[in-house]
Amino acid sequence: MADATALDVPADLAQVAEEKGIPLDLVRRGLALGFPADAIKGQLGMPGVTAEAAEQFISEQERIRAGGEITIPPELLDVAQKHEWPESLVKRALALGAAADFIAKQIEAGIKPDQAERFIAQQEAAREGGLAQTLDLSWMKVPTEWGIRVRPGNRGLTVDMLNVGTYADIPDHWPYQTEMPRGAYPIPGVAPMGYTIYEKAELWADNAGDLYEEAIQRRWRPATDIPWTTMEPLPDEIERAVGQLCTHFCERGLLSGDIIGRWLPEMSYGYHEVKLYLSTAAFDYARQFEVFRKRAMSNGGGLGLQSPGYFHRAIIDARAWTEASVVLNIFAASHIMGLYQIGAYTAHNEAESLIFRLGMQDVGRQLSYGVQHLRYFLSKKIDRRAEIHNYLNKAEAVFAFEEEKDVPLCEALIILLGGGTGNEQVSDGIAKLGYFNRRWVRDYISRLAAAGFPERRNKLHPSLKKYIEEPAEAAAA
Amino acid sequence: MTQEVKTKATFPSVDWFNAIRAIVNDDPGYKHIGTCDATVGIKIPDLQKYYLLTFEAFEVADVREATENEAENSDFWLELPYMKWKEMIENIKANGKADLHHTLNTIDIEEPDDLARSNDGYRRDAFYRFNQTFQYFFDSSARIDTTFQ
Repeated sequence: MADATALDVPADLAQVAEEKGIPLDLVRRGLALGFPADAIKGQLGMPGVTAEAAEQFISEQERIRAGGEITIPPELLDVAQKHEWPESLVKRALALGAAADFIAKQIEAGIKPDQAERFIAQQEAAREGGLAQTLDLSWMKVPTEWGIRVRPGNRGLTVDMLNVGTYADIPDHWPYQTEMPRGAYPIPGVAPMGYTIYEKAELWADNAGDLYEEAIQRRWRPATDIPWTTMEPLPDEIERAVGQLCTHFCERGLLSGDIIGRWLPEMSYGYHEVKLYLSTAAFDYARQFEVFRKRAMSNGGGLGLQSPGYFHRAIIDARAWTEASVVLNIFAASHIMGLYQIGAYTAHNEAESLIFRLGMQDVGRQLSYGVQHLRYFLSKKIDRRAEIHNYLNKAEAVFAFEEEKDVPLCEALIILLGGGTGNEQVSDGIAKLGYFNRRWVRDYISRLAAAGFPERRNKLHPSLKKYIEEPAEAAAA
Repeated sequence: MTQEVKTKATFPSVDWFNAIRAIVNDDPGYKHIGTCDATVGIKIPDLQKYYLLTFEAFEVADVREATENEAENSDFWLELPYMKWKEMIENIKANGKADLHHTLNTIDIEEPDDLARSNDGYRRDAFYRFNQTFQYFFDSSARIDTTFQ
């Protein structure tokens, strides 16, 4: 036991002792017994503590430490026997300085002897050698790769740069059903999280890590990055057409975010690059909704009619992520990119022009993930090409039906491209819409070819095929 | 974007592209847009002039004259007849940046064969993914005195 006279009493403890009328030498005797200063401060702060009670407690502890007999008060003994607590355990608790009535309350509260034993052993170890000896530290011997020191490059410290050593092992099949990150060491007994995608081919894209970084780096804020004050009143039919287009983008943004949100929990943790990128894609879709709602409601107009929604359901009903991705990230994103080009082409002010140009950056990443995922999928699943055709057969057919039914969107585009509702303007708008449709279908086919799926060109739905089979008419337009 | 720099350079030339490269590489506004990794060919077929621009991370890493094949062996190349390049650059100079009818996107849409072209549908999308970076690059030509051949 330490020499009590040589111990310093912390100022805050001394202040509490003074307020309670407890002599400082009594506090020093408590510290010498090994009680932490904070514990003494806590005890002194409790109601009803007097110098006499403190003296009695400290003296009893000193007597016990000197080898004196520990006596269990009869009331405590009764409680301990009733709950089958060994007397030796109660004595160890008393030796640690626990008050008899406190121990009785803990026993009656249902604390089991084995639970108490672990806690008491920890406290005894702390008293003998300090808190450090109470640490288990066996977790430090975890057999993960250690000593990793990745340095930032000219892009900073990116996600893909962390794929070094064994951390770069991205298995074709992820064997763990829990939320354990890749590279960590599993422990037994953790309940599965209910993922359904454990195979790399079902979600992987080599560019996912880069796209995540790109999305973070190139983020933009509709609230302040768009020069909203450049907007000026537009003719009513133009503002209504813009509002209808914005309504469509808002719907597509929310729906696409829902699709990502639905699939993320299905993806196991072995492929975090994809999960990270898709998180940013969900954010991009939220921003798509945000910026077009803001555009619709900031220039004297508002929102328009709801879309029929057949195509939306075709995407959200996908039963495999690859199907959802091919339809959402290649087919639907190619169409959205085409609409954004119309938006940029018909922009009436700096605000609209910038909205569409920034939006194209976001859609460009979605397309890039979609193409790279399909490319990876096809490279690993060479027997499933027909399946991709079936996904697209369904999506293109439903899209064609939707396009036929969505008269408001079609007319809004014609009015925007023609510049109004006059006969010549409508005629001009129809011709230009054909031009833009040819562009986006051409780009859609080109992206599928880049993904290793060039034969789709010959199997397009007739409503799309016509756009790539009429070069003479296209040139004339 | 201010117009405080008064470097003189002739379009098209490596010096012209390098003058813009020097401006953006020293411009926090350019870095603020975010990283961009792309190789971009420049084609001016009627002058038979070809260049290759390398965008890397937060800077334009390299500018050089190239063969036509090299310019096409990029992520995508920007191709216009000389007079249209001149019109775009003059418009940028007059407005401090491209007006609504002279952005890269608008020109791309209005050109029958596109401004941005590629042999690969995936790599061409770099034109969209990084379009604000490329626009900022060409808009920065407003900060030099361009003479034309």
